[in-house]
Amino acid sequence: MQERGGLAREKRGKTQKKNPAEISRFFASFAGYLLRVIPKLDAALLIVGHGSTVNPDSSAPSLAHAATIRRRGLFAEVACVFWKEEPALRDWPLLFPDPTIHDIFVVPNFISEGYFTQTIIPRELELTGDLTERDFPAGQRWHYCPPVGNHPAMTELLLQRAREVAPGVPERETSLLIVGHGTGLNDNSAVAAKQQVAAIAALDRYAAVLSTYMEEPPHIADWAKLTDTPNVVVVPFFISDGLHSYQDIPVLLGLEPEPTAAASQQAVFRQNPRHLHGRALYYASAIGTEPRFADIILEQTAALALA
Amino acid sequence: MDQDAARLLFSLDAALARWLAAARMRLGQIQMETLPPPQAGFRLRHHDDAGRPHEELALFTGGADDAVELARYDDAGNYRPLKTAPNLRHGWRLEALPDLPALRRALDAFYPARLGALLAFENGRLPVTPLRETLARQTGMYRITQKLTDAQADALVGRFCRSDGGCLRTILWRRDLAGTPASSHLPPEKFEPAFDQTGHGETRSLPLLCQEACNLLVAEARAVIKGERTAAAASAVDC
Repeated sequence: MQERGGLAREKRGKTQKKNPAEISRFFASFAGYLLRVIPKLDAALLIVGHGSTVNPDSSAPSLAHAATIRRRGLFAEVACVFWKEEPALRDWPLLFPDPTIHDIFVVPNFISEGYFTQTIIPRELELTGDLTERDFPAGQRWHYCPPVGNHPAMTELLLQRAREVAPGVPERETSLLIVGHGTGLNDNSAVAAKQQVAAIAALDRYAAVLSTYMEEPPHIADWAKLTDTPNVVVVPFFISDGLHSYQDIPVLLGLEPEPTAAASQQAVFRQNPRHLHGRALYYASAIGTEPRFADIILEQTAALALA
Repeated sequence: MDQDAARLLFSLDAALARWLAAARMRLGQIQMETLPPPQAGFRLRHHDDAGRPHEELALFTGGADDAVELARYDDAGNYRPLKTAPNLRHGWRLEALPDLPALRRALDAFYPARLGALLAFENGRLPVTPLRETLARQTGMYRITQKLTDAQADALVGRFCRSDGGCLRTILWRRDLAGTPASSHLPPEKFEPAFDQTGHGETRSLPLLCQEACNLLVAEARAVIKGERTAAAASAVDC
C-alpha cells in the first residue's frame, strides 16, 4: 500500500502575503468546518481503535468520540472496530449492510502512521489503498483516512495538556517530554512524536523538549538522565489512559513500583507533581482523551479528500 | 432488486422486527421484553433475572451508552474483554428503549456486530474464514501462530471456545480449507445455530454466530506456541 503523506504544516512566519501552504491550510480548515456541520446521510463513519484484552479504558475514547459524533446526526451510521476488542476489524462486512450507505470513512484513532495503520488495518479491513470499492456491500466506497495523530492541531493540544497538568510552572525551567510507543516493527511509529517535538521546540517556550519512547531509545525510563531542569512535564502521546499510558509508563517513570489498577477502577486520578530525583515530575493523561478529538476525527475525513 | 427491497432485506431494524414478531426474544444472555403502553418500547435484562421483581433490579435508562458500561465488567467487577463470554453481570434492567433502532443499538453494545452476523447468515452472505487462513494472515508477534499444530489447535479451540465458561458463540468456521471441524473436543451442538449455547434449552434464541476466530483466540494460540498456557501469561499479550 502506498504510504500517505502528512498534512501541510502550519507556517508560523509573519509574512503579509499568504503562501500556498497557508492557502491550502485555509481550505483544509474550511472543508473541515463544512464536514463538521453538513450531514452526509448516505455515508458512515468507522473509527478504528486498538482496544485491549486487559485494560477496560483503552477503547473508552474511541467509543466516546463515536457517541459525540453520532449525537450530531452527521452520518447514517457511526461505528467503532478494534484490534483487540469487539466489534473486531474482521467484522467490517457486518457493520453497514444498508444499501443506502454508499461511502464509508475509515479513521484510525491512532497516534501515528505505523505498523497498525499501514499493515494491520488495511489487511484486516481488506483495503487496497485510500479508496476501496466493494462488490459487497455492492458499490460501497471505503475511504481510508489519515490517523488522528497526523492532524495539525496535535501540537496545540499537546501544549495545552502540558499547561493544564503543570499550571503556573515556569516553562523556561521545565523540560517537556512527549512519550510515544515506538516499535521495531515499523520505522514510522516514532516519527509522529519526533515531528511534534520539533514543532514545539521551534516555539522556544520550554527549556527542553524531547521525544521519548517505551520500546526504543531514548527510553522514558531514563527521564531523569535525559533532563536537567527542576520541573519535568511528561505528556503521553497515546490515544487512551489504557495499559501503556496509565499502567506501564508510570512504572517506567518511577511513579509506581508496579502497574496499578486501571484508571477507571481507581478512586482518584494521580496527583501532580511527584518529587523524584530532586525534580518535580508532572504526568498528564493521554492526549487522545481530549474531547476535541471528535472534531479531529471528522476533519481527517476531509483531509483525505484534499490530499 | 429495487433499493427499497434491498434495504428491507439488509436492514437490521427490519430483521429485528421479524425476529421479535417470531417471539425470538433471547440473544445470548439477554432477555428482551416488549413493554405495554403507557411505557411502550423495550426492556432488556439478564435472562437469569427474568423471574426477579423489577424493583430488585437497578434501573438504567441511558440506552446503548449504558449497555456499553453494563457489558464492561462481570459480577465480580472484572473486565470482560470478550463480550460473548458467558459472564454478563446480573441485577440490572435497561429501559427507555423507545423503538427498534434504540433496541438494536443497545443489543449491539452488549454483543457487537452479532445481529449483523445473524442477518448476513440468514441472507447467505456471511463470510466465514477457516482458522488456518486467519493464522496465515498474521504478522508481527502473531506470525508465530502459523506453527500451531493440528493437535494444538484442536485442544486450544476445545478449551478456549467452549460454551460453558469460554464463549457463547456458535462456531461456523472450520480449522482448514479441507473442512476439518474446529475442534473434536466440542459437542456437535456447538456448531449448530439453532442450539441455545447458554444451556437453558431456549428453542427460539437468536444465536451469536462466530464467522472467524477472534483475536483473543489468536493471542491464546501464541501463548500455546510459546509455552505460556496460563491465563495470566495469555492475558499479558496485548499488542
